[in-house]
Amino acid sequence: MALVKIALAGEGGQGVQSVAEILAEAAYDEGKQTIYIPNFGLEQRGGVSIAFIQASDERIGAPKFNKADVVIALSERAVSRTAIYSDSNTLFVYDAGFKVEDEDFPKEYKQIIGLPALETANKELHPRVFNIIIMGAVIGLTNVVNFESAKNALENKLGHKFEKNPELRDLNFRALEMGKQMAERSLKEGGAK
Amino acid sequence: MQTNLKVIGDTKKSFVTGNEAVTWAALAAGAEMMFGYPITPQNEVMHYWTRLAPKYGRGFLQTEDEISAGFTVCGAVQAGTKAFTATAGPGNVLMQEPFGMAEAMRLPLFAVIQQRGGPSSGTVIYSQQEVTLTTYGGNGEGHRIVYSTATHQEIYDYTIKGFNVAWKYRFPTFLLGDGYQAKMREPLEMYDPQERGIEIVPTYPLIGLDGHIGENREPQHLCNIYSLEEELYEVVMRFAEEYESISPELVEYREEQCDDADIIILSHGVVSRAADDAVKALRAQGIKAGSFRPITLRPFPQAQLREAIAKSGAKKILIAESAYGQLDRLTKQEIYGETIKIENLFKPGVGIIDYDIVSKVKSIL
Repeated sequence: MALVKIALAGEGGQGVQSVAEILAEAAYDEGKQTIYIPNFGLEQRGGVSIAFIQASDERIGAPKFNKADVVIALSERAVSRTAIYSDSNTLFVYDAGFKVEDEDFPKEYKQIIGLPALETANKELHPRVFNIIIMGAVIGLTNVVNFESAKNALENKLGHKFEKNPELRDLNFRALEMGKQMAERSLKEGGAK
Repeated sequence: MQTNLKVIGDTKKSFVTGNEAVTWAALAAGAEMMFGYPITPQNEVMHYWTRLAPKYGRGFLQTEDEISAGFTVCGAVQAGTKAFTATAGPGNVLMQEPFGMAEAMRLPLFAVIQQRGGPSSGTVIYSQQEVTLTTYGGNGEGHRIVYSTATHQEIYDYTIKGFNVAWKYRFPTFLLGDGYQAKMREPLEMYDPQERGIEIVPTYPLIGLDGHIGENREPQHLCNIYSLEEELYEVVMRFAEEYESISPELVEYREEQCDDADIIILSHGVVSRAADDAVKALRAQGIKAGSFRPITLRPFPQAQLREAIAKSGAKKILIAESAYGQLDRLTKQEIYGETIKIENLFKPGVGIIDYDIVSKVKSIL
């Protein structure tokens, strides 16, 4: 697999860093070269939390990158904050429910994709699994890890919670699956701003 | 304290942060004691250490500040304890006092520095702005050994090596990382050094020795106060000679495709990863680029760099660093007399990726 560069951004508490860590663990477990680095500066306190993930079959160079293959903005202000990571090769993903001004979107992109992740989480699943839907979407868009590895990584991370409440396992796995399908569908449809 | 040396059994792969890599390596190297004071981005070295140390019979003390953390290491190593500290940014500034003391008293101090952006409160994130400070900080002569790492594997390897080198040569030894390396996760292979045939240099007390001075042993001369200028002069001159004589066996570097290079990209630490990728990309475009990376910033592999310049016949060196000329100055003083043109890519406080280097090379060739 060629190098895949992903920037995930959102608000503190949205689980951006947890999702990034689980994804990176899954890629690592598949034997890929993987780097995950959070933005951990003061910006994170009250600013947008960003996770930078890279995975490849080959050794990875610099830990950060200028332009991502996929940018995922999980909050309205994360859209404008992460626009700088987008260029003509980037899939720029945000939640279809966000109110975003046109000028906040990146000027350069391959495709801008609005996913109904929040709505799906709130109406069909549970607000808590919004980030897992997003994780599934990342997989649907990039194939950065295969679906089974992602489930295993989720199990490793949340297994202790699943043991206490098996319904949570089902909920998370469904969220992952729905996120993946949602993303694959949007890729086929060509996306829309 | 009962120290349990066996930390890593069978070699194991892990996906960890650089700070975790430091901690595991320090444990595997048999470090007995850490003294520290919290500072981002090195905090997790302390966090992991405090979590793991009790399991292996090791100790920890959080001192009142960094000056004290450095000096307690100075004290502990004199008692023969394998002690270390880790710090960053303003902590590194404060620790120059004890680091200078360790230099002047020839103490086997080992410290991990995770560079952040200056000044004290600058950024907590990343830079390569602590090169001058770590190599030549303090009111001394820079008789220090400084390893600049680029990967988690190197953090692990050179932490183990750092302790060994400190105790073998008795010059303060540093592992120079940065916030990116500290905080990012990447694969690491952890191993037991002895299983790999790495001999752990034994520690030994420097004070409270048996015997009587003048009768059956020589004095230790752990002096830090001199009444006469000439006494200080003699000691510094002797240390300088010793430092210079061991330098050839200490220098480490990595060189890629310099044999026929028209341009040599010089970088250190995490930036060298981007330099390697840049060389690959440039070569693919028919541009003969090579890279040279000092692993030891002190002592500097100056003879090897001169040799790389000579054999390649390169017309230019591009020095790329996340600082405004700290590696550049260090390099120029080391290769004084060379006439090769030196260009630079200075990006103080921010990361450098292969694209930045490729673009720069194309603009100057």
